[in-house]
Amino acid sequence: MTATVLRSGALRAAAPSPWRWLWLALAAAVLLYLPILLTERQIFGFRLSNMMLLNIGLSQVNLMLITMLGALSLNYLTGSAGLISIGHAAFYAVGAMTAAITGSQWGWPFPLVLIAAGLGGALAGLLAGLPSLRVRGLYFVLSTFAVHYLVVFAFMEYQFKFFDVVGVPYKNATLGSWTLSTPMRWYFFLLPLVIFIYWLLRNSLRTREGRAMQAMRDHELAATANGIDVRFLRLKAFAFSSAIAAMGGALYAYYLSNVTSEFFGIQFAIQFIAMIIIGGMGSLPGAVVGAAVWLLLPSIITGLTAQAGDTTGLLRSVLVDHKPQLVQAIFGMLVIVLLIFAPWGIAGMATRLKARLTAWWSRS
Amino acid sequence: MFIQVLLSGIALGSIYGLVALGFAVVFKATDVFNFAQGMFVAFGAYFAVTTINLLGLPFPLAVAAIIAASAALGVVIHIVLIQPLSGRPMLSVIMLTIALSIVMRAVIEILYGVQSRTLSTPMPTGIFLVGDVRISQLHLVAAGVSWLCMAAFGAFFKFTSIGLLMRATADGHEAALVSGVNVKVMNRLAWAIGAGLAAIGGLFLGQLQIVSPELEHIGLLALPAVVIGGMQSIPGAIIGGLLVGLIEQLSATYISPKSSDILVYVLLLAILMVRPWGLFGQRELGRV
Repeated sequence: MTATVLRSGALRAAAPSPWRWLWLALAAAVLLYLPILLTERQIFGFRLSNMMLLNIGLSQVNLMLITMLGALSLNYLTGSAGLISIGHAAFYAVGAMTAAITGSQWGWPFPLVLIAAGLGGALAGLLAGLPSLRVRGLYFVLSTFAVHYLVVFAFMEYQFKFFDVVGVPYKNATLGSWTLSTPMRWYFFLLPLVIFIYWLLRNSLRTREGRAMQAMRDHELAATANGIDVRFLRLKAFAFSSAIAAMGGALYAYYLSNVTSEFFGIQFAIQFIAMIIIGGMGSLPGAVVGAAVWLLLPSIITGLTAQAGDTTGLLRSVLVDHKPQLVQAIFGMLVIVLLIFAPWGIAGMATRLKARLTAWWSRS
Repeated sequence: MFIQVLLSGIALGSIYGLVALGFAVVFKATDVFNFAQGMFVAFGAYFAVTTINLLGLPFPLAVAAIIAASAALGVVIHIVLIQPLSGRPMLSVIMLTIALSIVMRAVIEILYGVQSRTLSTPMPTGIFLVGDVRISQLHLVAAGVSWLCMAAFGAFFKFTSIGLLMRATADGHEAALVSGVNVKVMNRLAWAIGAGLAAIGGLFLGQLQIVSPELEHIGLLALPAVVIGGMQSIPGAIIGGLLVGLIEQLSATYISPKSSDILVYVLLLAILMVRPWGLFGQRELGRV
């Protein structure tokens, strides 16, 4: 009797609703049409202004996709494994450095460079996670802070030893005979990659090990008491997330085709943490939302301030002359406001809203 | 030459010790690891530029204004930002201070521009010649004032009743609340002290080097200083600051200028791996 009740319940939950397929089809259509929309800036013959497109170009969307890799990996580390890392940009630097060694110096083909960058990142993540065997909490955060500075220093030394002040150059990215030369091609290469990584991370959380990781995040002593080897798991989580971030770093380097050590400063690392806080810690959709906000904010502000051409004085100084600083200030204030009032981030707010709407719907 | 480097290291280290002292006071009182302390240092330097160079106030008045303004800033930040987040997990508070430093840096760059400015104060800039060692008068003044401040605060904490109340609050929050101590006022006082000390450090660093938003990174060196010395220990913060200053100067002279900061972070990592509670701190007991 109980067996049949359980089974019917399970069956009911397993079948996806038809709404889900509609959403997926809609999302696929939007994602596939987006690059064409952004390149030609017209939809069905109707010309769109810059402001309507929120001032975004395809190259910015590509940068957002690359940054999304970093945000996803950091969110995985912080939200799902419970490890806080301030120096995540260091792994981007590791990826860029590995890509420079294998790609620009040894001349490996692009796919192999990406894999090498991933492996390099995994190794760096393993080393960076070693302090976690000794310290926890705040002290571990400080160790990631120190590791970040060390890695960026190493990159700087590498850059000055093998290249010069201008930066580390990268060749064109080629997959076989197909060169990633236009933003459109980059988009269609990056989008499946990011979707794949997202799928990989989400499914890894549903495995036995993923659940062990979440147990470790929630209560470490209880997890250890249950027989989970916390030290090993922590290092694995670090290596995995750093590998993804390093791949993001290699892609970043190839996309920009020239990077210097200043690109990976502590400001860059802080952006990642701001992204996952805005999006929502611990949720992979939160990382996506956070990276999107990071992309959209400068463009929206640039678009809005372009309308304020005639102002003078302090307002002009704020709106026109110091746009990057204005963006930073708004970004920081957004993080502060969210931390005080909505620490579960934008994705968390969306989840709560959905829950409230569902409850209201089922009641009425 | 070595003596000279040693002396400049001690002078710089004294300033770092002052900033680290402010940091340690805030940490002991409110349990907040204030990543924005570097920006407080920068704000102090920019307050100095405003009051001394732009407004032209007489020097003693300007110094009083700088300290008052920074203390007020510290109190406002505690009321608006830190108090609402009491009881939240540590990452939230750390991220808040980091976001605060982002906003502060943007505000400085908007108000004062990105280029660096020079700070000219009536403090002596000559050089003493003792044997064949050149001692900069400014270094002497900076070190002297820093040690004076640190001694003054040591006395404040040890001998005055408010200092005793602050120590009591830092040791046991609930016990202090139960004993009728106004913990809110104590916390705000701690933040005022932290910001004020950072501003004095900023005044000296701005004069010794140059006033630019990059002062934040120099002020951030107080963080390794506090960790190396021991986060819960006031003398540890001072000694940590001295150590950081010495290492910075020695490595900048004998190894390379670029490597000066890195060795500090290497030492930080080493301490975290070997003796995380710092040289003078106490081992923290974990409770289930």
